[in-house]
Amino acid sequence: MKNNILITINKLEDIKKLKELGINNYVLPIHGYCVGIPNTFLISLIPNNSYIYINRILDNDSIDKLKEDLKSNQDKIKGIIFDDLGVLEIVKDMKMEKILYLSHFNTNEESIAIYLNYVDSCVVSTDITKNELERIVNKFPNKLTIFTLGYVSSMYSRRLLLDNYTKFHHLPYQDTLHIDNTNHKFLVYENEFGTIFYHEPIFNGLELLSFPAKYFFINSSFLNLDDIIDMLNGKKNFGDTGFLYQATIFKLKGDQND
Amino acid sequence: MTELLAPAGDLERLKIALIYGADAVYIGGKDYSLRANAKNFSIDEIKDAVNFAHNLKKRIYVTVNIVFHEEDLKGLKAYLEKLKEIDVDAVIISDIVAVSLAKEIGLDIILSTQASTLNYMAIKFWQNFGIKRFVLGREATREDIIRIKKETNADIECFIHGAMCTSISGKCVLSNYCTNRDSNRGGCAQICRWVFTTPDKPDFTFMSKDLNMVDYIEDMINIGVNSFKIEGRMRSVYYIATVISCYRKIIDGINKQTLSEKDKIYYKKVLDRVANRDTIAQFYQKFPGVNESYFQDRIELSNQDFLGLVLDYNPDKKQILLEQRNFFKKGDVVEFIGPNMETFTYTINTIINEDNEEIDVARHPQMHVFLPIEKQVEKYAMMRIKLFDK
Repeated sequence: MKNNILITINKLEDIKKLKELGINNYVLPIHGYCVGIPNTFLISLIPNNSYIYINRILDNDSIDKLKEDLKSNQDKIKGIIFDDLGVLEIVKDMKMEKILYLSHFNTNEESIAIYLNYVDSCVVSTDITKNELERIVNKFPNKLTIFTLGYVSSMYSRRLLLDNYTKFHHLPYQDTLHIDNTNHKFLVYENEFGTIFYHEPIFNGLELLSFPAKYFFINSSFLNLDDIIDMLNGKKNFGDTGFLYQATIFKLKGDQND
Repeated sequence: MTELLAPAGDLERLKIALIYGADAVYIGGKDYSLRANAKNFSIDEIKDAVNFAHNLKKRIYVTVNIVFHEEDLKGLKAYLEKLKEIDVDAVIISDIVAVSLAKEIGLDIILSTQASTLNYMAIKFWQNFGIKRFVLGREATREDIIRIKKETNADIECFIHGAMCTSISGKCVLSNYCTNRDSNRGGCAQICRWVFTTPDKPDFTFMSKDLNMVDYIEDMINIGVNSFKIEGRMRSVYYIATVISCYRKIIDGINKQTLSEKDKIYYKKVLDRVANRDTIAQFYQKFPGVNESYFQDRIELSNQDFLGLVLDYNPDKKQILLEQRNFFKKGDVVEFIGPNMETFTYTINTIINEDNEEIDVARHPQMHVFLPIEKQVEKYAMMRIKLFDK
């Protein structure tokens, strides 16, 4: 099981600890191309055999710069996990594993089948139920990536919401804030590229580890690696199951004008 | 040619939008649209809309822009085939499965803003699917648009007026978490308008002001934006008539080189009056800062300016038949706006009800009254409170 865990890291020293546990697929969020992640790494300094993570929606200048950065560092990159489809255009002829993580898309097998013509794997959305997920993953055995553990983005804004908030209220700047409305809690994190809201508590989909996925993705941002390892080893268990058992609705009965 | 693209939640709004100067209207069907709880259009109504628009040599686009779960795909192909059969001019889509089906069927596709497209490489990816027009992410700056046009030669559709998401479109599921309503399937509960608490600090809000691009329309025409899109499929007929009418006159004034600064100031005042939030230019010239958001809970006032819709004009009696929309009375100073007439001021001296009796006030919603007017007023003109002198 540990061979197909893809885990983001918060510091380079984590790699050694992961390798000792038999986890060799470590993911480095890349500085300048990520949002919502406190610990990012310069692409020029990544170790060999790294997976890299690019989760920003990129502007033109950033995509040009990324193209150059990838060309220069291609030999160190084992795979790339990305959201912006523009990235697909620049890596399509590069020799690296391509994993598409379109945060809230990829909720049906037909869309995934189309994207699999262009990439090696897709991260299936966390916005669907366990039954939906199971059906999709079984349709493409050992091809897909399942988000398994960690903070899930519930909103991505290009605005600097914390910067504006602290300026308005004349507060010292802070890049992290915990907010709450009638028990709906979010962790808000901002960097120069925008603001991400993460639902609290973290998503715990460890029960999905038995599914026939290619990879199980763990987002370690804001988490302690020892806690994650304890969870993988069954020594700790926290978080919630998101929408796995809670199908969303979108048409409200009695609220339509027809 | 620059297109003015209006929203419409039903056939009445659609007709108003086209009559008041929109070149095209985007609408949602009963399914697959991101305004799942608007009235929306049945297939027969879409057919009527297409016929109405095509008779005016105008266009209808249908939104099919939800993010599809497996269960939502049932009937999608047949629906798209039906849209092709009734000759809609394009479909607005974000999910690749719908893109693929629409392409197979031969429908023209507009990539929805929901696809979060902000760079030319992403446009190139979608151009492989035959897509020619793109609604960029609302976060696109002027420089982004110029570069995208240069690198891709794509048709670009930009929002120019209306409410804004705080999030990049397609990247928000706050509604899912807070209300269990799926924002990417049309159930958005607008959580970005909520107030959140935070320990030992002032309440946290993150609501954006609305969009208004009056000051930049000429520049946007010059950099090659192809379609100017107004937000608001759930807005009133009065809102749609007012906003479309203003932008129509602005675009025509620019094209004829007759638009003055005084005109722009007047249109901005009218547009601000019909809005229920402050408006700004958002990302076009700079990133929204501290002055471009709201930081406290606020009351949104509904606009009461719209007094009545003209149903008919009798040239022999020189009087209009008006459907009341808000309270008015004798002595009120009002003005009439219409698609093909200059706005004019009018003082109400006489109100006659349907029993031919003179009355002092029109107090009942949608009651029909007659007002004597010398000047010919066309059907679909609107009577509103006197706003400003131009």
